[in-house]
Amino acid sequence: MQIFEYNGSALVAMVGKNCFAIASDRRLGVQLQTIATDFQRISKIHDRLFFGLSGLATDAQTLYQRLVFRHKLYQLREERDMKPETFANLVSAILYEKRFGPYFCQPVIAGLGDEDKPFICTMDSIGAKELAKDFVVAGTASESLYGACESMFKEDMEPEELFETVSQALLSSVDRDCLSGWGGHVYVVTPTEVKERILKGRMD
Amino acid sequence: MKLDTSGLESAVPVWGAPSELVDGFSAAPSFEVPNTTDFDGFQKDAIQMVKPAKGTTTLAFIFKEGVMVAADSRASMGGYISSQSVKKIIEINPYMLGTMAGGAADCQFWHRNLGIKCRLHELANKRRISVTGASKLLANILYSYRGMGLSVGTMIAGWDETGPGLYYVDSEGGRLKGMRFSVGSGSPYAYGVLDNGYRYDMSVEEAAELARRSIYHATFRDGASGGVASVYYVGPNGWKKLSGDDVGELHYKYYPVMPSTVEQEMVEVAGA
Repeated sequence: MQIFEYNGSALVAMVGKNCFAIASDRRLGVQLQTIATDFQRISKIHDRLFFGLSGLATDAQTLYQRLVFRHKLYQLREERDMKPETFANLVSAILYEKRFGPYFCQPVIAGLGDEDKPFICTMDSIGAKELAKDFVVAGTASESLYGACESMFKEDMEPEELFETVSQALLSSVDRDCLSGWGGHVYVVTPTEVKERILKGRMD
Repeated sequence: MKLDTSGLESAVPVWGAPSELVDGFSAAPSFEVPNTTDFDGFQKDAIQMVKPAKGTTTLAFIFKEGVMVAADSRASMGGYISSQSVKKIIEINPYMLGTMAGGAADCQFWHRNLGIKCRLHELANKRRISVTGASKLLANILYSYRGMGLSVGTMIAGWDETGPGLYYVDSEGGRLKGMRFSVGSGSPYAYGVLDNGYRYDMSVEEAAELARRSIYHATFRDGASGGVASVYYVGPNGWKKLSGDDVGELHYKYYPVMPSTVEQEMVEVAGA
């Protein structure tokens, strides 16, 4: 089986009205066998910046540790949090450093930038940035996710409606993928609060 | 019944006596050689390309009251789930069932073919065919196609004059008689639950619940199994479908979500 499909994953980030949502599945598997059903794929960099890593789980964990380290250094030097656009550039540079022996991950970055404008982007495993105004997807279920998001997405959704849309898109896509699913994890971030919710999905 | 040996015949024409010098030069014995660099290995690659992985969970066991047969209903193509509602328990005739694992087309076709042969046996011999006989018919057919890329891992379960019968037959030509079998990528997980809970003297309801739980646990751990857990019972009067439960709902029935106890709660302080 391909290296990107070894552990299985599904990630999606969507933009709403002055808010964003980032969601992932919860399965960690070794090819077809399911090992864990509570794997954390999305991590917080700071209150207004989240990112998720799909692909090989070991590379995702290592990359997460490196990025947290770099951001902490930045906080010490600049005495402020990183902007999402800057963070995306940092991730892209770190991935390209390993151009000829890459990390087998695809990151999804979501954050609130200046004036609470939501920012989302995804990258391939060697750092090619893909900015989008509506939604970005990654993982083994990405093709299904593209279809589901494309049909369910609307501009300027409020946080509650955005949560419903992201959840439905995620659950219906992972139900068509053997390697991801077993529940869902959704973060909805507005300028004032972060709401974390766990989805009840099909456990097969 | 004559063994279908057409697959074993050599494609090379027999080298005739070299006395026909009059006919011009006789061509050397030859057959179509595929245009490939790796002649010895390409066929294996081609078979691997069409060989569908046996992504499924099926199981069957004999107990005091008869035979219990159960299966999931997911069809997967690599990582993509192509269907969640495939019938994997095939009704060969009113008192015999076959399970499907491996290539769907192969299983469906050869089970139907087996059903035809069983009916012809009934008409010719004025009595029903035994489970031993039916499984032997299928095993012989599959053996004659050995090496050609068929992918069939089936169990033939039925009730005949000698009582309940269960055989495992596969496309490599194997045929095994037994009391408990599970076939497919989810079979290790199903065996774990089945072997632990099995007793010969169970009632029909207990056996059905054991079969259902085994399939459910396999669908939980195995990525290529899922959908609906179907359970069939084969008794002296033939087979009967007992249940078809969606495994997504079975999970929350076996492991209901408990509201977690709140350890610390923030309370509004009055007048602060």
